[in-house]
Amino acid sequence: MRRNLARFAAASAMAITVLAASCPSAAGDLSIAIAPSVDNPADPQMGDHLVFETRLTNTGATPVLGVISWLSIVRVDPGQEAPIGLEDWSAEKAVTRASLAPGETIATDWPMRLIQDGHYRAVVSAASRDGTILAASPFADFTVRVKPVVQSARVIPVAAGVPLLLMLLFFMRRRASSSR
Amino acid sequence: MTPATLIARKEAGELLFSLRGLAWLLALCAALSSFTLLLVGSTELSLLDNAQVVCDMAGLITVLASLLALIVGIDATAGERERGSLVPLLLIPTPRRMILLGKLGGILIAWIAMFLLSIPYLWAVGSTGQNLAEGVALVAILGTPVVLTFGFLGMALGSWMPSARACLMTGMIALAVSASPLVIGPSLRQSAIGRIFDAINPLSGTVNAYDAVIIDGKPIIAQWPGLVLALAWLAIVLASAVAAFDRLSR
Repeated sequence: MRRNLARFAAASAMAITVLAASCPSAAGDLSIAIAPSVDNPADPQMGDHLVFETRLTNTGATPVLGVISWLSIVRVDPGQEAPIGLEDWSAEKAVTRASLAPGETIATDWPMRLIQDGHYRAVVSAASRDGTILAASPFADFTVRVKPVVQSARVIPVAAGVPLLLMLLFFMRRRASSSR
Repeated sequence: MTPATLIARKEAGELLFSLRGLAWLLALCAALSSFTLLLVGSTELSLLDNAQVVCDMAGLITVLASLLALIVGIDATAGERERGSLVPLLLIPTPRRMILLGKLGGILIAWIAMFLLSIPYLWAVGSTGQNLAEGVALVAILGTPVVLTFGFLGMALGSWMPSARACLMTGMIALAVSASPLVIGPSLRQSAIGRIFDAINPLSGTVNAYDAVIIDGKPIIAQWPGLVLALAWLAIVLASAVAAFDRLSR
């Protein structure tokens, strides 16, 4: 009987340990709200600027240490699904804070330049130094309208071809004049 | 074939088939190619609207062609004098006005060659956008008097001044001042001085007309003030070139 009790106690301790590891810790106390800025164009097109405003709040009872939040954008057009590299889209790489006290909020604006047309979803994620899960905002969807811009496929043949033709003519004339 | 036509053909042939002329045209095309490659190479510029790019390209073509026409005009008089071929030309039994007409015709043919070379560039940057045909037409209508004005100015300077270098420097300063609207934004030209300058500068009138037609979609016919200004300058500079060339021949 005592032996059985000891086995039960050991099993219970292991279960509690596993349960504790799977419970959301620090970063799980972060909540993120996202909304487009009121100044955003109603029907944005390529080249326009959009701003998304986020509010990152510590909803827990203890401070969250080493908070990092960042913006991600994904394209969701059928057949074109892909994460977007933000080097050209957004100047804001990430927002960091050494400590976020309980109830404290970080308000951040995420400006971006719309580079390509399509349907997109923006999300802001946050992680902390000790947290075990990622906090993420709801998706903010937006559509970028196409704008006629310069097509490199048309420019490069002309930009290279016309000077090359003239150079050919130039060297032909030079050869003809030197052979005379 | 009249002597004027012969001289015009010779002048144009020097631009189109001589090594010096081909090098000038090559430099023009290299500048246009650099600008177009810059448009696709820079993220910021690649997002410019097609119409804006066509408008910028039209302005650039007009200024570069004006520069080349200025050089051709100076070369037709001061250049010939420095090479020692002007005096023999003036001694041929042909009225001086015919010689002058031939040289002016050479500048016109040079501009036609430059205009034809620039069409592929306008197509390349603007074929997917709006008002490309209107833009090309406007470069022909308004660009022609402006470019010829600078070409004739070059001839006038070449006849007045003793050295080609001094002519080139004076002509370049005139062109740089005249082309400043391309560099200075419209907001900076809203002052009283800026407005007066815009009202008398043929290149300002032309650039403003490009903007109105290509970007704003206004009718070409509504741009007659710009055309009148450009034609007025053309007439003044042509009269100056005729007077200077006559003085040269005496």
